[in-house]
Parts: sequence; structure tokens; C-alpha cells
Amino acid sequence: MSARRIVITSGKGGVGKTTTTANLGAALAKRGLRVILVDTDIGLRNLDLVLGVEKRIVFDLVEVVEGRCQVRQALIRDKRFEALWLLPAAQTREKEAVSEAQMAQVIDELATLADYVLIDCPAGIEHGFRNAVAGAREAIVVTTPEVSAIRDADRVVGKITAAGLPLRLIVNRVRPEMVKTGDMMSVEDVCEVLQAELLGAVPDDEEVIDTTNRGEPIVLDETNRLAAIYDKIARRLGGEIVPFTNLGAPTLFGRLFTLWKAG
Amino acid sequence: MRAFDSPAVELDPIPEPAVVRGRAIVITSGKGGVGKTTTTANIGAALAAMGKRVVLVDADVGLRNLDIVLGLESRVKYHVLDVLEEKVTLEEALVRDKRSDNLFLLAAAQTREKEDVVTAQMKALIERLRESFEYVLIDCPAGIEMGFKNAVAGAGHAIIVCTPEVSAVRDADRVVGLLPNSWRPELIINRLRPQLVKKGKMLSVDDVNGILRLPLLGVIADEPGVIVASNKGEPLALDPASETGAAYRAIAAKLAGETVAAPAVLVAPSGGFLSRIGSFFGGRA
Repeated sequence: MSARRIVITSGKGGVGKTTTTANLGAALAKRGLRVILVDTDIGLRNLDLVLGVEKRIVFDLVEVVEGRCQVRQALIRDKRFEALWLLPAAQTREKEAVSEAQMAQVIDELATLADYVLIDCPAGIEHGFRNAVAGAREAIVVTTPEVSAIRDADRVVGKITAAGLPLRLIVNRVRPEMVKTGDMMSVEDVCEVLQAELLGAVPDDEEVIDTTNRGEPIVLDETNRLAAIYDKIARRLGGEIVPFTNLGAPTLFGRLFTLWKAG
Repeated sequence: MRAFDSPAVELDPIPEPAVVRGRAIVITSGKGGVGKTTTTANIGAALAAMGKRVVLVDADVGLRNLDIVLGLESRVKYHVLDVLEEKVTLEEALVRDKRSDNLFLLAAAQTREKEDVVTAQMKALIERLRESFEYVLIDCPAGIEMGFKNAVAGAGHAIIVCTPEVSAVRDADRVVGLLPNSWRPELIINRLRPQLVKKGKMLSVDDVNGILRLPLLGVIADEPGVIVASNKGEPLALDPASETGAAYRAIAAKLAGETVAAPAVLVAPSGGFLSRIGSFFGGRA
């Protein structure tokens, strides 16, 4: 029994890696799967806050690597789900405290305990990025429909492909009304520029800021439209064919303009 | 390579005879995507519009974006590493802004790694820029790895950009702790939505600064126009009709030592987040 090992990455920071990891993990757990979330952002951890478990951290990833505790001891169980755990990052250490080989070893061990291991990658393409990718077998690249995010995602897609990992895209924070006026690239355009397969498109929703601040993944709120969208993404990840929600097609002008800028 | 003492790479005065020692300011945040690059571009454009001589340095090697936000991406020929490796002179690598004669960009290398930049070299480069420009604004990459260290190395002052989100506040607080003790960083709170603060669904300015306790340089409201402006490469600071542009101009004026009133509309009362935001500092580090 070995889990899917998926790194969630983006290049640019602040596009929603951590929120995606938390919500996708929760959506998979809601479907009865065993899920372990790994925060690899040593020194700037946030996945614990987004899950609302920050006060329950005892051990962290660096202590596991240094052999100061067992992997199981460091896992924090999310009380709202049957089988969702977090392995938190250390807050007061540096990314260099863990090597790529050590990270791969930890992920291997976690893979024996779950169905999915989701690895939340730090921003950038430095040591922390290489660590996060080291133990993964596949990747989800998160981007927003902004020229700067797409350019960074393109760089990361190149690195992931070079590492031999299959990847799919989540286009986050789409504003359909801006897509219609040509002020934002459409989901289709983003996929075309990055030449990557779409896993999901998530509309911009101001509730996310609030739920993130409160440590409650938005998939807990069944009435929120994002709950259904993350559930669809979870099903696609499991191999189901699920139709995509239409988040708008751009005007021809907007399309030419944004494609020119991104290309 | 320790090339900076060598006369071969002596800086030609740009664009006029050298002035005494400009200010080198790093714009940083810890968390990515909070608006460092947008802030750098807008403050730079606003300072240049005030007649200051300004150079913007993109320190995000491998993931540069400042050129896009300024609309200069097709004019970038050389980058920081070309200068450090003596392939071109500093003057050749500087890109002059389309709109202002006294605003320049020094782009980051896109296909290189942050580890290719040596901290001492970066420091020497910023020193040289300070001889020719009144303001050297350094756009820092996200995170606290090598790229952060290089961006901070040559600076003498920091502007912390933070959004009203607990994760951004925690990362900003961490970054303040990593800056030299003698610095007194100034804070810009970005992407505030006053109507959400009123509803108690967003941290207020007081909530954020109750934790960070930094001198407040300015507050920028969230508006979709910022995304459009970034995509188009036109800083809002140059749009006389934009309220956000006015807020950036006020920040630039304050930075330049002018007395500016705070935008009262954004400084709404707390929505009751303080208990939550305080809690993550009580936990185990």
C-alpha cells in the first residue's frame, strides 16, 4: 500500500498553494480517503494556521528528520475529519536544515500511512522548492490568471517536467466578470500558455480570506460554491471524469493582449 | 569574482553627475503575493514623478516580474548577473522607463538561480547605484532563503508589505526579526477591504499593527484595477484619477520626508480578530 505523493507548487507566492493544499486535502478526506498534508515551508509555515491547528503543534518536520521523534508523533490529526493529518514545518529553522534525500525519506515513510500525501511547497525555486519536489511523484501547479503568476508558473512547469514528474494545473482566483471584459486571462488561455492539462479552476471568493483567517477550510461550508469545486477537483484527482465549471470566455482583444504579454 | 575594486568596471555617472549617497530600501514581506513588486513599481514611479532619481532593482533571480509590472519586459536586454559577471557595464544593463527620464530598472536574470548571486557582490552593486541615484528600491523575492539575504544585504532600510491575513502577518513578523536590529522598518498594509473590516471578516489596520508595531507608511485598498494595471504594465501611481494611485503618491511623499495625512477611510475599527491573531504567537515556535 503506497500513497499518491503530490507536490503543490507555483513559483510565485500568494497564489493559493497553502489554501489549495488544505482544501483539497479536506475534500479528499471527506470522501473517505486517508490524507497527510506536509508543510515544507520551513521558517514561514502557514498550513497549521489555515487548518486551525497551530496551538496543537508538538513536533515538526525538522525534528522528524533529526530523529528526535517518530513521524507518527509529529502528525497532528484534524478533529473535523476522519483521516486528515498535518506534518507541520519548523518555524524557527532554515530550509537548509533538511536535505532533499531526507525529505524523500520522510515522504516515503508517510506514504505507507495514507492514500494521499500532499506536499505544500514554499514560494520560489530555491532549496525549499527542491526539497518539496524531492519526495513527490506528481505535481499540481497552482497559478492565478495574472501575467506575473503565469510567467513564474511557466518556470516551475519547466523544472517539474525536467524532474520527470507528471503535472496538472489549478487556475485559482478567476474573476469571470474580468475575463468577460478582457481584463483577465481565461482558464483556457492560461492552459494554452503553459501547455498543461487542467485539474481545476477556482473562482475568486472573498470568503476565503475570512475562512483562512479563522482556520476553517472553506470546504467545511457546504453552502459555499467552492466546496463543490474542491470536491470536483478531488474526484478528478482520483481518476473520475468530471465536467469543468465555466468561468467565462474572453473577448478577442483581451485574449490577444494577454497572450502577447504572457508569451 | 571580486571585480568591484577594479577600475575596468568603474560606473559611468547615470544619468547625471553623481550625487551623495542615495537611500537603498528593500521592499520585503516573507509571504509571497502580498504586493511587493506592485509596491516597488508604484513607489518608484511616484518618487520619479516627484523629480527624484530612482532605480528599481529586481532581486527575484529566476522569477522576475518587476519588468512586467512596469511594462518594460521587451526592453530588458541585460540583467544583474550580466553586470556582476562583467559581461556588460552597469549603465548598459539599466533600462530607462518609458514614462520617466529619471526612473530606471535593473532586471533580474530569468534563467539563472539565486545561488548564482554572491551576497558581497550584490552589496557592492547597491553601493555603486547609491552613488548615482537618490533612491535604490530593491524588490525582494518571497521567502527567507538566499534571495532574501541577497536583497537585504545592500539595503539600509526596509519597507514591510503585509496584507490583512493572519498568514501574512505571521510571515511579516518573522521577517522583521531577521532584519538588522538597528533598522526601524516601515509598514505598508496592502489590499485592505474596508467593507470586510466593518463586517468583522477582515483584520483591521489596528489588528495587523497591534502585532507588528511598526511605523505605518501607508494603507492601500484592494481594487481590481491593480491587477489590470499590473497586466498592462502601467503603475497606478501615475494615474491622477486613481485613488490607489493617490495612496501610492502619498507613501512616496512620506518616504521623501514630506508630511502627509493618513487616509482616514481605511483606518476602520477592529472587527474582533485580535484574540485569534494573538494566539499563534503563544504556540510553540
